[in-house]
Amino acid sequence: MGNLWSVASAIKFLGAEPVVSSDPTEIANSNCLVLPGVGSFRRAMETIKTKKYDQAIAEALTNSKTKLLGICLGMQLLGASSNEGGQTDGLGLVPNRVIKFSSEGNPNIKIPHIGFSEVKSPKNSSLFENIPDNSCFYFVHSYFMEVADYGATNNHIATANHGKEFVAAIDSGQVCGTQFHPEKSQTNGLRLIQNFLERF
Amino acid sequence: MLSRNFRLQKIGDLKWLETNYGFSEVGYSIDELIVLDVSRTPRDRPTFCKALKSLTFDCFAPIAAGGGVNSVKEAHDLLRSGADKVVVNTTLHSNPDLISKLATEFGRQCIVASLDCKQVNNKFELVTNNGSETTNLDLSQFLAQISSLPVGEIYLNSVDRDGTGNGYDFKLLDCLPKSIEVPIILAGGVGNSKHLAEGLSDHRVDAVATANLLNFMGNGLALARAELIDANFDLPIFSK
Repeated sequence: MGNLWSVASAIKFLGAEPVVSSDPTEIANSNCLVLPGVGSFRRAMETIKTKKYDQAIAEALTNSKTKLLGICLGMQLLGASSNEGGQTDGLGLVPNRVIKFSSEGNPNIKIPHIGFSEVKSPKNSSLFENIPDNSCFYFVHSYFMEVADYGATNNHIATANHGKEFVAAIDSGQVCGTQFHPEKSQTNGLRLIQNFLERF
Repeated sequence: MLSRNFRLQKIGDLKWLETNYGFSEVGYSIDELIVLDVSRTPRDRPTFCKALKSLTFDCFAPIAAGGGVNSVKEAHDLLRSGADKVVVNTTLHSNPDLISKLATEFGRQCIVASLDCKQVNNKFELVTNNGSETTNLDLSQFLAQISSLPVGEIYLNSVDRDGTGNGYDFKLLDCLPKSIEVPIILAGGVGNSKHLAEGLSDHRVDAVATANLLNFMGNGLALARAELIDANFDLPIFSK
C-alpha cells in the first residue's frame, strides 16, 4: 500500500487541496503535513535523511499550529526505531519502537496483517471525534509499533490486536499517526481525516 | 452435469457499471474490491486504467486490480489509477523475476497471487491465461514453495466452480501446507450467503470472494453481508 494517490484523492474528496511535495522548503513552510508510507522503513529513512525531510518536518513543527499525520509506514517512521531492513532510527517524534509480527506459536496469525480490525480509541481524542469506539479500520502491515509504558504517551494511543496488542493510532497534539489506512477505511476513515484537517 | 456458460459473460459496459453499481454504495457491502481485466482480445491498458479510475474515485475501500500484468510499468499504472494492490496470475509462472521486482518496488503486501485451479483426476492443476492454458503444475506442490515468492496474499480460485453458484470447493484448501504465513482468499462458486458463511467458518480461510452476488444478484451482496453480520460473523460495519 502506501498509495500516495489514494491519500491525496481522499483529502481532495473532503474538500481540501493536497500538494504532493518533495521540496524540503515547501514542507518546512507547511502547517498541515501528511506522511504516507512507501517502501521499507530503512529505505524511507534513508530518503528522509538524504533529502533532509527530517529537518524540514522538525522546522515545520516549531510552529505550534502545524500538524502532522503519518499513515501506515508513515506512522512507524514517527517512532524511535525499527528493525525492518536492519536496525534503523526513526524520526523519534514518539518514543515507541517498531518490530515485526511473529506467527511463532500461533499459526493463525497471518503476516501481513490484512483487513479490517477494531480499534480502541484513546480517551478524549479529537482525531476519533464522532467515531464510535471499536470501529473498524483497514490494516496492511507486517511490522507494528509496540505498546510500551512511556508514561503520558500511552494516553494518546489507540490500539488494535493481531496476536498481540499494537499501536493502531497516535493522537498527540501536533503529531498524529495511523497504522491503518484511513483513506481505505470508508466512512470511518474519511471522518478521521476530516477530524485531522479540522484540527487547530 | 453443471449447467454453466463457460464463455466470458458480458454484463455491461462502463456506463452500465456506473449506473448500476455506484461503487461508493457497493463499498458498504464489501471489505475489498477486486477488478480484473479478463479481455480475451489484446488488452487495452489505458482504457482499463481509465475505467478503474472512474469506478473508484469516490470509493474509499481497498482495491486490487490486475489482468495480464507483465511489467513494473503496468503495475505502476494500475496503482496510479486507484488500485492499492496488483493481482498477478499468469506472470507467477511465466515471469517470476517480475514478482520480485514488483515486491522491491511496491512491497510484497502489494501483490496478490491469484491461482486458478482446475481438478484433473484427483489433483488440482494450475491453469493460466484466463484459464485457457494448463501449466501441468500441481497446486499442492506449488503452494509448498510459494513462500519463496514475495506475495502478500493468495487468491485461491476454483475454475470448476467459478460461475456455478454451487458453493466453494473446500478440497482446494487441503492442498495448503500445514503452515502458511500469508492470508488466503477463497474464490469460485458462491451462489448465496450460506456459501460465504461456510468459507468464513473454515479456519484455513482468511477472506471470501464472490463476483456472482455482486454481478448477477441485484442487491444480493448487501443482503448476504447483512445475513452474515446477523449470524455474528466478525465483519466491519460501515456507517453511511
